[in-house]
Amino acid sequence: MEKFAKAFPSKPLAARTAKPWALAGVVGSGNLEVLLERGGRPSGTMECHVETSIPGYKASWLAALADFAHNYPAGGTKVTINDQGAPPVLVNLRLRQAYDHLIKGDK
Amino acid sequence: MTRGPLFHEQTARQRIAALVDPGSFGELLPPPERITSPYLAQLGIPVSFDDGVVIGRAKLGGKKIYIAAQVGQFVGGAVGEIHGAKLTGLFKAAARDRAPCVLLIESGGVRLHEGSAGEIAIAETMRAIFECRAKKVATIAVIGSDIGAYGGMGILSTCCDFRVMSEHGRLGISGPIVIEKWMGKKAYDSSNRALVWKTSGGKTKYLLGDADALVHDDAGAIRDAVAKLLGRSSAVTLKSVKARQKELEKRLKRFGATTDPNDVWKGMGVRDVAAASLASGPEFAAMTRRGK
Amino acid sequence: MREKGIMNTAKSALRRQNKAQRLERVGKLARGKFVSPNNVPQVLKRIIESGDILCLEGDNQKQADFLANQLATLNRKDLHDIHLVMSCITLPAHIQLFQKGMIRQVDFCYAGPQGTAVADLVKAKKFPVGAIHTYNELYARYYMDLTPRVALIAAAQADRKGNLFLAANTEDTPAIVEPTAFSDGIVFAQVNEIVDRLPRIDIPADQVDLVVEAPYPMHLQALFTRDPAAITDVQVLMAMVALRGIYEKYEVQSLNHGVGFNTAAIELLLPTYGERLGLKGKICKYWMVNPLPTMIPAIESGWVESVFAVGGEVGMERYTAAHSDVFFTGRDGSFHSNRAMGQLAGHYAIDMFIGASLQIDINGNSSTVSKNRITGFGGAPNMGCQPTGRRHPSKAWLKVGAEANPGPGALPGRKLVVQMVETFQSGRVPTFVERLDAQDPSIRKALHGVAPVMIYGDDVTHIVTEEGIANLAACRSIAERQAAIRAVAGYTPVGLKRKKRETEELRRRGIVQLPEDVGVRPSEASRSLLAAQDIKGLVRWSNGLYDPPPQFVDW
Repeated sequence: MEKFAKAFPSKPLAARTAKPWALAGVVGSGNLEVLLERGGRPSGTMECHVETSIPGYKASWLAALADFAHNYPAGGTKVTINDQGAPPVLVNLRLRQAYDHLIKGDK
Repeated sequence: MTRGPLFHEQTARQRIAALVDPGSFGELLPPPERITSPYLAQLGIPVSFDDGVVIGRAKLGGKKIYIAAQVGQFVGGAVGEIHGAKLTGLFKAAARDRAPCVLLIESGGVRLHEGSAGEIAIAETMRAIFECRAKKVATIAVIGSDIGAYGGMGILSTCCDFRVMSEHGRLGISGPIVIEKWMGKKAYDSSNRALVWKTSGGKTKYLLGDADALVHDDAGAIRDAVAKLLGRSSAVTLKSVKARQKELEKRLKRFGATTDPNDVWKGMGVRDVAAASLASGPEFAAMTRRGK
Repeated sequence: MREKGIMNTAKSALRRQNKAQRLERVGKLARGKFVSPNNVPQVLKRIIESGDILCLEGDNQKQADFLANQLATLNRKDLHDIHLVMSCITLPAHIQLFQKGMIRQVDFCYAGPQGTAVADLVKAKKFPVGAIHTYNELYARYYMDLTPRVALIAAAQADRKGNLFLAANTEDTPAIVEPTAFSDGIVFAQVNEIVDRLPRIDIPADQVDLVVEAPYPMHLQALFTRDPAAITDVQVLMAMVALRGIYEKYEVQSLNHGVGFNTAAIELLLPTYGERLGLKGKICKYWMVNPLPTMIPAIESGWVESVFAVGGEVGMERYTAAHSDVFFTGRDGSFHSNRAMGQLAGHYAIDMFIGASLQIDINGNSSTVSKNRITGFGGAPNMGCQPTGRRHPSKAWLKVGAEANPGPGALPGRKLVVQMVETFQSGRVPTFVERLDAQDPSIRKALHGVAPVMIYGDDVTHIVTEEGIANLAACRSIAERQAAIRAVAGYTPVGLKRKKRETEELRRRGIVQLPEDVGVRPSEASRSLLAAQDIKGLVRWSNGLYDPPPQFVDW
């Protein structure tokens, strides 16, 4: 297991969202779950916590998370990820799904 | 031929959302509470925010229910201490509030990493189920997922009033690999998927009366079947257990020596086994004596 | 003059005399052309001579496995210095011939199932390889410098005269038999059964010298069955991107698909997503592919005009026979294939080849070879290349050609050669690398300086990943091509080196396209778009005519 945390600069999240938190994905082989929560964190950063079963890919993780924080206004959110060896593409896809759920609700 | 998502391909949360009245689900112990397994964390195995089971309150056709859905992808949907405690608590709440409880099963049974705690939790959940039944609160197991209902969860499902299955679902105690390990590949080849489904799949379980409904692999069909059963429950009595025992003795006498599951189908009145094998759940039901 | 010609026969008939001697040595071990299974090792000893060029039929699917197993019972003192020529090294028996030191040289195409064993033989210096070929390249050499003296082949049935029926898996047999039979070589066929009357004659008895009814049916690999249940959401996303950004954009009419799950996803999206986009009748009409079960929904929905195949597929016999308007069938009504002709079609007559690789380097070269597994090519390079002998135009060919902006001395068109890969393989192994494993000096040395590159970067027009599309044909320099590849290489070490500004500039010029740029919303990508979600769904689409192999049946 490898554990790390980092905050990334991101434009502030919309003042109103459909839900206070959203979850996407499942912890299973080659998969992960992302919990996205809004909270009282600085509105200019996206705070990330990752726990992964496959160590040694921190650079890929940080790059994927930084891209997401850059591309979407997610400032003031907390991202927590439980990973069981998902490829980076799933990190992106799940983050996006969780983000959509947070903003628009489960549809 | 385009259709909605198949029930067995949906995630636990999607299944619940598709089954209950829109927007009615309120999750108990939701992910932000982060109640995760301390045992898995100690072993260096990834944990999950819900420990592999989503529980909560909802409405179905306007009626209050309790509902749980297991997450088969997370350690095989296996029951650990927290997972089990959530199930126990849910059925206890159902008994207390006299609200029916629906359990969407996808589990191989007890989680090996926390065996004793899982075993105890399953036993306690069974007790809570019987408490529901004693109060005529309906308990319904839905089995229509990849992993099916095996081990402790197979037994637990049979403690419920009803089992709703799809042709995709499987119900048993020992899983196929375990049977092969003990009985030998000649007796039971677990890689023979047709054999596995013919012995433990929804169609066979429906024929033998272990499943009460055989429905399409889709949340709408499952909702309809569950809705019909919500108001019906019966207590477990010595008389009902004895009657069930008689039925099983009869079955054993009739099919105990059979080695080909197709013979069981034929014995139960399926004329065209090939066509019945390919038929959908409801089509299959219509082809059998039981369905008529 | 005529007399001189006759005079010369004595000298030029040495090969014919030698053939007669070999068959004479067989003597009573055969009754006419027919050999009993027990006598096969003895017969092989008498018809093959040390130093021969020997062709052992090992196709992508069909294997002359009984003859191969009998050959492997012989030893170096029986036969040595054999120059083995064969398409596919597939069976343990093939490997034994090397281990026993019987082989002087081998020329082949593909070693998929024995890739690890071949890599081990290379390391032990027991694999004297001439070259790894593409299929048609090797067949072509059968007519030039690698003409077999003896060919051991496989057929479904023989009649009492020795005519052969090849059933659905014709594959390589005609390409092996013709050069051998017309050069006084010996053709020895194993057949599943001998019958009085064949459904049709695929190889005339005139070209067959010996026949054995094998005690077990020939081994046939089910290679093209992809269970829709194993297709992921990410593959659906890539398929949507490819459909919009390539199939729709270039109006691809004639094509070849690889055998992976990526292209299976495309096939299963045609009747759903493709239909919604209004593409039916506009794309994907003429196919050069094996009868892929995942094509059933598209065929049933009326997308497909024709399918020609290099081989068959287990379980598709009844379906193809019932769809003779789409598939090529014999007079008996059953399926017909031919690898040489199919490869020719895939070389010259398709708008697009689309397939996957294990590794793609920074210049767009791709390979399926790793240091521990040497697999070779098969047919992909024949299709995944620019045929400079092509002269006929098509819409797609001209459109890619225009994007490539050819100079005054170049072809006006280009074939679409598309690599469709996820940026990571399973287990987080990156697909994109700075240097291919195939370029490893030890592998290069064993192959006389030629690295086993599957498809060259210069031939590739597009790379599709879950990140988007890189249009390599439109790149104006090697540096630009490398930047385009990094832009779609995701979070692999190759991708992490991309520069934001460069990527933005390529995106502005349409050389790099993200899913959104071709009108695909990633959150829409879901397995529920597939026309069939599992094998049972395919059987239902086929109206019960598809009989999947037992390992895929769960009912």
